[in-house]
Amino acid sequence: MSVTSTEGGTGLTRLVHHVRAVAVGERTAFSSGTLTVSPAEAHAVLTDPALSDVRVSWASPGDPVRIVKVLDAVEPRTKGPGGGGIFPGFVGPALPQGRGITHVLRGAAVVAAGFLPRAQEAVVDMSGPAAPLSPLGATHNLVVEFTPAEGAAWEAVYEALRKGVLALAARLAEAALGAEPDEVDELPGLPARDDSRGLPRVAAITNLQTQGTFKEVFVYGRSFGSTALPTLIDPNDLDDGAVVSGQLGHPSLKNPTWVFQNHPVVAALRARHGVDLLCAGVVLSPEPVDATNTELVSAHAARLCRAAGFDAVVVTKEGGGNADADMALKMDALEDLGIPTVALYAEMAGVDGTGPSIVVPPTRATAMVSTGNYDERLSLPAVERAFGGDRVDVAGAPAIDAMELPTAVIYSSLSPLGWGRLTCREAV
Amino acid sequence: MTARVVHYINQFFAGLGGEDTASVLPASREGAVGPGRKLQQLLGDDYEIVATVWCGDDHAAGPDVLPAIMDLVRAAEPHVVVTGPAFTSGRYGLACARVAAASAAAGLTVVACMHPDNPGLDEAGTAPVVASGEVARQMGPSLETLAAAVRKVAAGEPLAADDGRVGKIPRRNVTVDQTGAERAVALVLARLGGDREATEVPLPRFDQVTPAQPVDDVSTALVALVTEGALVPDANPDSLESARATRWLRYAVDGRDALPAGEYRSVHGGFSTVWANEDPHRILPLDVARQLEGEGVIGRLHGEYLVTAGNGTSVGNARRFGVEWAADLRRQGVQAALLTAT
Repeated sequence: MSVTSTEGGTGLTRLVHHVRAVAVGERTAFSSGTLTVSPAEAHAVLTDPALSDVRVSWASPGDPVRIVKVLDAVEPRTKGPGGGGIFPGFVGPALPQGRGITHVLRGAAVVAAGFLPRAQEAVVDMSGPAAPLSPLGATHNLVVEFTPAEGAAWEAVYEALRKGVLALAARLAEAALGAEPDEVDELPGLPARDDSRGLPRVAAITNLQTQGTFKEVFVYGRSFGSTALPTLIDPNDLDDGAVVSGQLGHPSLKNPTWVFQNHPVVAALRARHGVDLLCAGVVLSPEPVDATNTELVSAHAARLCRAAGFDAVVVTKEGGGNADADMALKMDALEDLGIPTVALYAEMAGVDGTGPSIVVPPTRATAMVSTGNYDERLSLPAVERAFGGDRVDVAGAPAIDAMELPTAVIYSSLSPLGWGRLTCREAV
Repeated sequence: MTARVVHYINQFFAGLGGEDTASVLPASREGAVGPGRKLQQLLGDDYEIVATVWCGDDHAAGPDVLPAIMDLVRAAEPHVVVTGPAFTSGRYGLACARVAAASAAAGLTVVACMHPDNPGLDEAGTAPVVASGEVARQMGPSLETLAAAVRKVAAGEPLAADDGRVGKIPRRNVTVDQTGAERAVALVLARLGGDREATEVPLPRFDQVTPAQPVDDVSTALVALVTEGALVPDANPDSLESARATRWLRYAVDGRDALPAGEYRSVHGGFSTVWANEDPHRILPLDVARQLEGEGVIGRLHGEYLVTAGNGTSVGNARRFGVEWAADLRRQGVQAALLTAT
């Protein structure tokens, strides 16, 4: 296979292998679209002093299965034996990636599920009406359940899971290193400074939740702090796992690692790159917890976009409330500098959809995309099996029972990064 | 056939008095009362206001009285339920909206009438609301709008902005072909091309809160502590939600000078509660309030505090909590409240 990168050697080639079936076996392997996992090998990868026991199970699309207490999901990827630099700062060294080749097991995810304090209940159904609302409803999910070691701090348990799940994702993808890919995606690098196509440079600002342990996001393995300033990153770095979730709040408004790896705004920009725009880059920005830093970060992000020569920007968030204020301030600051801006908002319009939709709206930049109403309720059918826990506390019911839940509880259903296809319409 | 109309109003418009009678319980009478008489004239012979139901504002805004009001409404076997006009009166508007919402939920034909700034507006659920004037001086034109709306809803026709309809039309989740990200990129290109109007989310309308007048003499005032910081007795005995709260609770502080760590905790899901639980006064400053009470700076501290969790709470619910808290505190003679927010 010839592996050529585009635009002056700054691109990334994605070798995409479609996972069409999964199995459990003695050896981890990938062959003819079937991903086989060896529980013994998985245990060896996941073993950590903070975990006394781990269990792995497959949950596949269409199964009468519910995954509760979902913590994070990772798409199996690797750049070579031992990861080849994938997930920099966790599996690979903390260095920029996004060049060369990356193997992707599309249609699969490694999913951590179970009780951690500060985690709000997050539910994935593999069948029924909630399945199409979550990215994990369409993937073969290797669910990692766990028992904390006695006396282990919760922070250590979470760290062990995060590292283990990333390492396991890299290990699974390694099984496809010798396989012929189903698709080869040549991803462009950042546009050259003297690109003369006359197309607008459109960038993404991706706000990351920065509220400390259990509510943080990692960039190159480092927690992106609430006093950090916005920083520019090559979108191809996201494909190689430079951004990893450590965020357990707001299940429907969560950006799992899987979604950062497949950043939907970047994907939408790439799809039109060279056609009617240039995909100009990603700005990672903190979501500070105080007004002073929020104002500083918004003003600074706008100046950064101006200095980088962006003509238009799409802003996204993680979480609710404060996160809306961050977006509104950024939108207004960008438009004040003459940079047209659109942001993705989930609506919080109440159970019947009649309440005000947005907590803090922008004042001057008024173009918003709705990713659906947080409060609207869904009826989920009973299932045969549940992973991640025995009960769904917010429904006050055993996890396998039929239940009614707000959309807010369905994992990534209102994806702030724009993964989903939900929106709101007026029902006259 | 004559359409049977049941009209809901408050104690003031029922002719029972103002704030002094704001605590009268739900009651009803055959026929039109107060503004209902003029409404009857405007509606003409095809409609008959068969009963008028009323309730004192302080109760009507409370949580428990709606079933009793609805029993009176249903007992009159209405074809159409009409509530208001409530103008900008908060508790009255809330009651009109709730009676309308409950009627709609029960499958009855209904229309409510209040000013667009009335805090009750968002409580009307799926029931239509038409605009009244701001104050009762505008009763005449308000009733004309309302009468026209009654005829329309009775005929099964939808109400639109031209009919004076106000409030939000329900927004429902639908699935579309493109992802949110794809739509966002298309929208930003449209904006770059000069389209300044396109959006999927209309800008919400927020009302401005006019602060109450300062308390004349706080050294004689009864002062309450209220909080959205989700501080509850340690076992969370009433299961306050940590997010998306749908209700509020009350806990006694009579005879207490402090809220010891371990006996109280915050179940708020929107921030790290470590510091709050280390010293619950960081959420509810009972210690300092008692000190001020002892020094005579404030008259007396109210015997209980009101609490909810302000985290992912819909604006509609938050507004309702505020109106209910105000009514509850007023009933108990509280003159000032200290609201701690997180």
